[in-house]
Amino acid sequence: MPGNQSNSLVDVLLASTLDAFRLLFSGNTDIWEIIGISFRVSSLAILFAIPPALMIAFALAYGNFFGRRFLISVFSTFLSIPAVVIGLTLFIILSRQGPMGDLGLLFTQKAMMMGQFLLCLPILVAMAHTSFQAADRRAWETARTLGASRFYAFVTVLYEIRFGLLAAMLAAYGRIISEVGASMMLGGNIAHYTRNIPTAIALETSKGNFAEGIALGLVLLFLAFLLNGLLHYVQGKGSIHP
Amino acid sequence: MIDDFRFDYRNIYKQYRRKQVLSDVSISLSNSDCYIITGENGAGKTTLLRILAGIEKPDRASISINQAAQKPWRSCRPRLSKSVMYLHQQPYMLSGSVRRNLEYTARLNAALIDKNAAVDQVMLWAGLEHLMTQNAVSLSGGQQQRVALARARLRNPQLLLLDEPTANLDTDGRGRTLLMLKTIRESGTAILISTHDPNIFTELEAHSLHLVEQKLIDKKAATGKISDFSSYQKSRGL
Repeated sequence: MPGNQSNSLVDVLLASTLDAFRLLFSGNTDIWEIIGISFRVSSLAILFAIPPALMIAFALAYGNFFGRRFLISVFSTFLSIPAVVIGLTLFIILSRQGPMGDLGLLFTQKAMMMGQFLLCLPILVAMAHTSFQAADRRAWETARTLGASRFYAFVTVLYEIRFGLLAAMLAAYGRIISEVGASMMLGGNIAHYTRNIPTAIALETSKGNFAEGIALGLVLLFLAFLLNGLLHYVQGKGSIHP
Repeated sequence: MIDDFRFDYRNIYKQYRRKQVLSDVSISLSNSDCYIITGENGAGKTTLLRILAGIEKPDRASISINQAAQKPWRSCRPRLSKSVMYLHQQPYMLSGSVRRNLEYTARLNAALIDKNAAVDQVMLWAGLEHLMTQNAVSLSGGQQQRVALARARLRNPQLLLLDEPTANLDTDGRGRTLLMLKTIRESGTAILISTHDPNIFTELEAHSLHLVEQKLIDKKAATGKISDFSSYQKSRGL
């Protein structure tokens, strides 16, 4: 009977969600280890990506060099690149027969970081570039004319557009912490080593362990709320209203 | 007081998309000089000021600093950034309070020993003490101009270039700007002002220049008294 079937599905989901909360708050080490790996890999990936991304974005906004427009469109294109394509490309490069095979990085957290680095770099560059473009050019000129060195003037402009930059970082972090394609291909979903939240959800769901999948999903959902809340707060701070 | 200095800018050329804006413009500036530059909209006043400040690249120009050999503009650019200050028509306020704007400037001036005291002093000088904690971005045009001039006072440049400093000010604001410029000039800073209304600056006893047809000419050239600006400067030994 269709009615009974939908009732049983709701029951299963409810029971699994309750189990998920129990798993999360009972101090299940496996779950928290997976969460820890996710945060570690994604946080390091974005930390490595931020400095080059800011410099590239700045050069694209303030520089006047051959190929600038082409580079802008390349980064815009890479915004929508599927994570599996990044995963596949790096897999070929890092596999034994690949040009970087000797480094033995495949199926390590470093490989996952490389994948996530490449995933968040275009987001950071594109959004930071927009912020730099929206910033008043007089900010740079004023800093320079007040006697700031080029580096200090750069830091001054970064501070002036800090809300836009923070929004870029939050968006990029949201993208990489929840991606599954590149992490699965480059990390291999090895328990206690490269298993992160998205790959664990995919695995547990395929095994029928909905409770674990939902528990990890809840963490991602909570993170999404947190990041969005922060984003709105930060954007509110940069309001044009006094 | 600022040590003796002299900037000789020679043969400045600049064109935008095939439109020649400046052609063979030369100017010399030394301590406490004061020049007013007038000209039609689009004559190139702002461009000239930005080139003199080292902000905008000319097509060609050379500079001699303190009577040293003439060098290309590009190689003098670091020195210009160090010694010349340019004030935008609408000054840019760094986000944060008025005090933060002044502290930022004081931090960059290594010659200031007690930076806090210098900031306090300049705030009194500019009449900004009651606005100290206010967000600089939300100030009126006149108040922002005072912050900009207070920053100039803290920066203490050899050369101060102002682009239409009184464009958006009321009579009171203009009077204050004038007084502040007088004090800055007295400390030895050379001042160059681009404006549409030179009469406002009569009290500064500035020399009037006119930018017309890509050339900088002495204002009196219009009446045929002096042929061009370089002959005037030569007559002054500059």
